[in-house]
Amino acid sequence: MAHQAHAYHMVDPSPWPLTGAVAALLMTSGLAIWMHFHNMTLMSLGLILLLLTMYQWWRDIIREGTFQGHHTPPVQKGLRYGMILFITSEVFFFLGFFWAFYHSSLAPTPELGGCWPPIGITTLNPFEVPLLNTAVLLASGVTVTWAHHSIMEGQRKQAIQSLTLTILLGFYFTALQAMEYYEAPFTIADGVYGSTFFVATGFHGLHVIIGSTFLAVCLLRQAQYHFTSDHHFGFEAAAWYWHFVDVVWLFLYISIYWWGS
Amino acid sequence: GRRHTAVQQMARRSICSSARRQVENKVPQKQKMFQEDNGMPIHLKGGSSDALLYRATMVLTVLGVGFTLYELVKASFPQKKD
Repeated sequence: MAHQAHAYHMVDPSPWPLTGAVAALLMTSGLAIWMHFHNMTLMSLGLILLLLTMYQWWRDIIREGTFQGHHTPPVQKGLRYGMILFITSEVFFFLGFFWAFYHSSLAPTPELGGCWPPIGITTLNPFEVPLLNTAVLLASGVTVTWAHHSIMEGQRKQAIQSLTLTILLGFYFTALQAMEYYEAPFTIADGVYGSTFFVATGFHGLHVIIGSTFLAVCLLRQAQYHFTSDHHFGFEAAAWYWHFVDVVWLFLYISIYWWGS
Repeated sequence: GRRHTAVQQMARRSICSSARRQVENKVPQKQKMFQEDNGMPIHLKGGSSDALLYRATMVLTVLGVGFTLYELVKASFPQKKD
């Protein structure tokens, strides 16, 4: 078997970039077809293909790293840069929605009554469920750090417990937020207040779900002995992502829930 | 009485057996399987279930492209109004 004279990872040919691209094609075209002809088939097919692609692509990365040993220090460095750049792009994504919020709220138009919150909007009390949500996410930041230290110290059971607690806190946040959405006295259709509120908090909620899923995968991997005390980058990436989700919430809470109320 | 003790003993036995069920460390086996020099690419190296899932995904991919082109061409022509 030929051996490489370098520490980098030359990946096997893979079908997943193609299936992923086709999934994107199906989801976008499907979205247009759904909007015009009320048929969800194409979009749903795209979603299924996306899930299949993500499952198999990330499964293959776990095989390459954990089972084949391809994630040498230089390769891991590249993965770190990659995750940092991805999170940075997500920061810019949210920046746009914060820009929209401040654009409308710092100079409220006469149509809104020249004030923020606009006339007719009953805002949520920032010191009720939103404050609880803040405490929940901050606590989950502590538990995920506990999990990291447990992994680094080789404490298998504690790592599993603290990681499980982190995920449960994430689910609790999602459940509380879903309840808030249901009970809110305003909707996304209630002018620019409704739009900025639900688009910003809605995308945040989606990221909480994504982050919880990433952490859940890490929990399964920790249970299956994938992580060692000095090599567990998948977990670190999930923890970075989770801290990012927490920080976005803090900005949302301060700007939209508190200052905007 | 005695029946109560028997139930307690049974409860204790079942709790013990579930606590003893540990997840086995299968990483060394997996490492051996995935480092075997059999020329299989990573996305098929896990066995026949890999091939099944791959084939299913590819079928959806090809059908999906066809379906998309069909829907887009159909949408490009004037729709018959009822």
